[in-house]
Amino acid sequence: MESLLITQALNVAYEVLILAVLVLGLAVVMGLLNVLNIAHGEFVMMGAYAAYVVQKAGLPYLVAVPAAAVVCGLVGLVVERFLIRPLRYDPFETLLATWGLGLLLRKLVELGFGRGYRSVEIPIGGSLRILGESYPAYRLVLMAIAVVVLAALFVWYVRAPTGARIRAMVGNPALAEAVGIRTRKLARNTFVAGTAWAGVAGVMIAPLTPVEPFMGLTLIVNSFFALVVGGMGTVTGLFAGAGIIGGLQSVLSAAVSPTSAYLAMLLLSILFLWQRPRGLFPRP
Amino acid sequence: MLISIKTTRRDLLRATGVGALAICAPAILRPAKAADALKIGVLVADSGPAALFGPAQRAAAEFGAATVNAKGGILGRQVEIVFADAGAPPAEVSKSAVKLMLSDKIEMLIGSHDSAVRQGVENVLKGKIPYVYTPVFEGDDCSPNVYMLGELPEQQLQKTLPKLLEFAKGKTFYFVGDDYVWARTTNEKAKKYIAALGGTVVAEDYYPFGAPNKFESSVTKIKSVKPAVVLQTLVGGDNVNFNRTFADFNLSDDIIRLSCLLEENTLMGIGKDASKNLYSSLGYFADIELPQNKAFIGELNKKYGDKAPQQCTISKGLYDAFVFTAAVTAKSKSLDAKPFAAAAEGITFDTPSGPMTMKNRHTTKNIFLSRCDGTKFTVVDTFTGVPTQQSCS
Repeated sequence: MESLLITQALNVAYEVLILAVLVLGLAVVMGLLNVLNIAHGEFVMMGAYAAYVVQKAGLPYLVAVPAAAVVCGLVGLVVERFLIRPLRYDPFETLLATWGLGLLLRKLVELGFGRGYRSVEIPIGGSLRILGESYPAYRLVLMAIAVVVLAALFVWYVRAPTGARIRAMVGNPALAEAVGIRTRKLARNTFVAGTAWAGVAGVMIAPLTPVEPFMGLTLIVNSFFALVVGGMGTVTGLFAGAGIIGGLQSVLSAAVSPTSAYLAMLLLSILFLWQRPRGLFPRP
Repeated sequence: MLISIKTTRRDLLRATGVGALAICAPAILRPAKAADALKIGVLVADSGPAALFGPAQRAAAEFGAATVNAKGGILGRQVEIVFADAGAPPAEVSKSAVKLMLSDKIEMLIGSHDSAVRQGVENVLKGKIPYVYTPVFEGDDCSPNVYMLGELPEQQLQKTLPKLLEFAKGKTFYFVGDDYVWARTTNEKAKKYIAALGGTVVAEDYYPFGAPNKFESSVTKIKSVKPAVVLQTLVGGDNVNFNRTFADFNLSDDIIRLSCLLEENTLMGIGKDASKNLYSSLGYFADIELPQNKAFIGELNKKYGDKAPQQCTISKGLYDAFVFTAAVTAKSKSLDAKPFAAAAEGITFDTPSGPMTMKNRHTTKNIFLSRCDGTKFTVVDTFTGVPTQQSCS
């Protein structure tokens, strides 16, 4: 029984961290630029296909990380220039536009790779013993990477000058421009960073899920709920949202049943949208 | 004066009515004329979660129609397919079915989609034209003028489970399924067969259908319970996801898995690393060594070359539907409900998976138990002429 608890606890941690990794790019773009990128899941999907292509070509799996970042970053750059910027970063207009973008990206990938499932082999096989229990090694590595990345991001956002500039731009765009911050360039870079990270997240999860053109749709559902519950534009909100949604789902799934876990998550999200639409830790 | 106008108006209405009838009459009478093409509506998954089967479904249906046409068509008429998308919600597909009937004038319908869509379509067809439903499904449907060609749970399990246990290290079963009617019905039937074999079901997990599911918690439970067999009624992405997670947790050496809906496309997604000791029980696999199947796959490859969509039991059923209809109408000489039903009962027709016999509007057919070797299926046992337990009259 004890061993079961340890593994289930690892499962909860795994689910929360993976969700945080998936939410990250979305949270950056939504929280800082007020653009709800509905096509976020499609960027994750393109990252997963990048991993598939790299593996098919016989290259080391790590090559997929820069490959996916470059592919998704470039697409992000084009999207920012010809879709988001012309719509003046308007929340509603960009929401509709990125919805359409999602359709387009899915169809393009379907055109190139077909509708069928692709499988990406696990780059690090086997299991590791942790707390006396064996747990799949790749998942442990993913969890470690997620912790490092999230911590680094947190520190960077608080300490680095760019972080300060972004906070300035978000807080008061006109004043930020007046003191010499090039907000247009900063916004573009933020958007591109969000999409590039989505691609990297795709590489991370590709060996764990079916890789197909529509994978982004299901992957992204929980990310939206995490944003709704956690609140947008703060790092605390990101952690809180991923922790609550991922944790609730994982714990209830193990303790009660997966169907009731899903139901509970939907109810919680509805409750938040209705009573506290800005989430737990919104940007002040 | 007023009265006179009234009569004129009535006359006018009457005249218009007669005129309209005269104009419409040919359309109403048209089905009776033998020379026209016979239009058959075919519902395939162009969109929605099953859309990955769409191209293969279309190819199988078109090849079925071509095969029938080459032998003189149905009732002496050339068959013409009218496709419609079955990937939308049931209400939408039902509307498409009505449109197929009213404006496309189809005289029968063939469909490969889920049961919710089938029930919606049945409600609008009301038995007016024959409706052939082709995929794997749970049974318990005797709607008038509907014929089912797909595998039923009893066919997939009754004879297969004893054979499967020869590979297992015990008789304990763990069920994992999607939370909907097909999975639950299949598992209810499985419980009976397992009890008859002296086995036990240790746990059942059901996952919401179409939700972003993760399977770590079930796999962890399986790891601690250590059943001999995991019986799966997961479909599509969930099937891929579960089996990959299962293999990652290093369980595939000691525990065997039987999936009730694992075909060629899903196995590609599961991949060679995760398919050890995974079995599938279905009425058709694209690699089965039957001359009928070699001819079927060979012809499709000839037509589509490298681009031939991967056939599987879900798509191949559409080809069967045309062969079935040709066989029945050769005997019934009509598509009318009564003669069609009379001719259908007991009829045997040859398909790529071997002969099928219609009994109580379902088919007695061959069932294959296959083991996954990498991303290919190897048939380990063939059960010939497996009947259903359905009793539609």
